[in-house]
Amino acid sequence: MRSWRTGVLLFSPLLLVLAGAFIVPLILLAPTSFREYQPGMGIVAGSFTLQNYVRIVADDYYREVVLRTLGLGVGVTVACLLLGYPVAYLIVRGRPGWRLPLTLLVIFPLMLNLVVRSFGWIVLLTNRGVVNNLLIDVGLIEAPLKLMFNVTGVTIGLTHIYLPFMVLMLVAALQNVPRDLEAAAATLGSSRFHVFRAVTLPLTAPGIIAGSILVFVLTISALVTPRMLGGPTYQVMATLIYDEYMQLLDWPSGSALSFALALATLLIIWISSRMTKRWAGLA
Amino acid sequence: MKSRIKLLTAATMLAGVAVSSASAQELVLGEFGGSFADNVKACYIDVFEKETGATVVTKLANSAQQAAAIRATAGQSDMDVVFADDAFAVQMANEGLLVTLDRAKLGNAPEIIDGAWGKDDAYVAAMLGSTTIIYNKDKITTPPTSWNDLFDEAYKGRVTIGDISGTTGWQFLAAVNKMAGGSLDDITPGIEKIKPLAKDAVLLYTQADQVVSLFERGEIDIAVWYPDRAGVQIGNGLPLAVAYPKEGAVGIRPSIMIPKGTEQEDLALKFIDTVLDAENQKCFSERQFIGSVNKNVSLSDAVSAVVPTGEALNDMMFLDPSEMATKLPEWTRRWQREVLR
Repeated sequence: MRSWRTGVLLFSPLLLVLAGAFIVPLILLAPTSFREYQPGMGIVAGSFTLQNYVRIVADDYYREVVLRTLGLGVGVTVACLLLGYPVAYLIVRGRPGWRLPLTLLVIFPLMLNLVVRSFGWIVLLTNRGVVNNLLIDVGLIEAPLKLMFNVTGVTIGLTHIYLPFMVLMLVAALQNVPRDLEAAAATLGSSRFHVFRAVTLPLTAPGIIAGSILVFVLTISALVTPRMLGGPTYQVMATLIYDEYMQLLDWPSGSALSFALALATLLIIWISSRMTKRWAGLA
Repeated sequence: MKSRIKLLTAATMLAGVAVSSASAQELVLGEFGGSFADNVKACYIDVFEKETGATVVTKLANSAQQAAAIRATAGQSDMDVVFADDAFAVQMANEGLLVTLDRAKLGNAPEIIDGAWGKDDAYVAAMLGSTTIIYNKDKITTPPTSWNDLFDEAYKGRVTIGDISGTTGWQFLAAVNKMAGGSLDDITPGIEKIKPLAKDAVLLYTQADQVVSLFERGEIDIAVWYPDRAGVQIGNGLPLAVAYPKEGAVGIRPSIMIPKGTEQEDLALKFIDTVLDAENQKCFSERQFIGSVNKNVSLSDAVSAVVPTGEALNDMMFLDPSEMATKLPEWTRRWQREVLR
C-alpha cells in the first residue's frame, strides 16, 4: 500500500504537467475541430460539421502532405539508424579512449539551439551556399544543385538534429548485450558477421525500436526545421497546421489536422511496441 | 508522509500562480519586429513615455500572429494597443474584438487622410506602404515599368517573389490577376500566369528579410518587395532602386487598433494620438521610408524617392480589406495546390 502511494506521489508532478499542458488543451481543441469556419467572419458558433476531417482524406493536397510526412519520418528514421548504429557500436565496443570524445561529439549538437543548427544548414545548402560554391569551383557541376526547399534539405537537417537521440538509445541497448553470448557464438564457429546478425542485432532490437519510434515521432511533428529548410514549397503536417492556425486563422481545420497527427502518432507507437514484443520474443 | 504532501502542494501552487505585474501606468503594445520596432520606439514610444510618464511594454509578432492572439484572448486581451495590417484588422473588427476609436478623443484626427480610417472607425492606418518592384540598379539599367517586366526572359531564375503567406505574395497575385483579366472572384488568370514565374523563382520568400541576403549574395536582380525595406537597405549601401509599375503598385495599410478588454482605453487612445501626430509621423516616415497618413507631413528627398508620390500614388491599387479577408483562404488553398506543386 505504502509503495503504491509513493509511486503515485513520485509520478504526480509529471502527471500534473501532462494533464495541464497536454491533455486538457487537447480536450479543449476537440469541439473546435467540429466547427465550421467562415473566412472573414470567424468560427461559426454552434455549428457542427465533419468536413474538417473528411477533407484530410478526401482532398488530394492534404493526402499528399500526410503521406509525405509519414514518408519523411521513415526516411529520417532509416538514415539515423544506418548512420547511428556504427557510431554507437564504436562507442561501446571501440577503444575505451575513444568513448568520451565520441560521446561528446554526438551530444555536442544538442547544446546548440535548433534554429541556429537549421540556419547553419541554410548557409551550407543554399544556391550560393558553401556546398554548391565548392562543387562549382571544383568543376563538378555547372548550375547549383537544388538542395533546399525539397525533401533533400529537410531530410539532411532532421537526420542531423535527431541522430543523437538514436545513438544514445543504441548505446544503452548495446551496453546491455552480454559479451559472453557473442564469445560463445564465436567459439561455436560463427563468423563475425554471423555473430552480429544472429546475436548482437536481435539483442539490441528493443533499442533499435525505441530509438526509431523516438526519431520517427520527433520527425513527423517537427516544425522549425521543415519550415526553415523546406520553405513554403515543401509542406509537412506540422507546417500545414501552423499555417491553418496562424495564416488562415482557420482554427477548426488546424485542430482537425492536429488530431489526425496525434492519432497517427499513437497508432504508430502502439504498432511498434507490439512489433518489439514479437521481435524480442523471437530472439 | 504528511509533510511531504504539504510540500508538494505548496510547490504546485507556487508554480501555478501567475504573477500579474501589470501596473496602472503600463501600456502593452503589440507590434512588428526588426527596424519597425526600433523606429516605433524612437518616434512614438519615447515621446509617449515622456508625455505621459507611462511605460510601454512591447510584444513582437506579425499581423497574423497578433490577430490569433487577440482572438485567443477574446475580450480579455493582454495587449492595450496593437499594430496589424488592415486585412487582419478588418477580420478582428468583424469578429467584434476591437474597440471603436473615439475620434473626439484623438486631437490629431482631423489631420488624417480619409482613406486611413477603417470600417466604423474600428482601426486607423498608421502609415502607407506598398508592394512594388525592387531591382539591382547595377545589373538592370533600364528601370522596369510594368509587372510584366518580371516575366522577362532576361531575368529568368534571377527573380524572387513572396509566398502567399506574406503580404507581397497575395498582393502581387491580385495585381497580376487584374492585369491578366481576372477579378477578385476569379483568380484563375493570375494563378496561371504566376505559376511558371514561381517555378523559376530562386525562392518564394516567407520572411521579408530573406530578400536582403538574396540581393547581397547576388542571387537575384529583381524582386517583388517592400519599398520601405529597400529604402533601409539603400541606406546600408545596397545598389537597389524602387520602380512603380504603370498598372499600379498595391497599397498596404499597417493599422493600429485597440482590442476589447483593455483596462486602459484612454491611455491607449493617447498612444494612438501620439502615433498620428504630424511631427512623430514625419520622424517615423523618414526612418522607415514609408508613407505618412497625416496631411501635414512633408518628406525629405531621399524618402520621397522611395515612397510612392504623384502619379505612382494616383495609380496605386487598394484592395478592400473586408473582401480580401473572405477571399484569402480560398486564394491560399489554390496557391498551395496549383502554384507550389
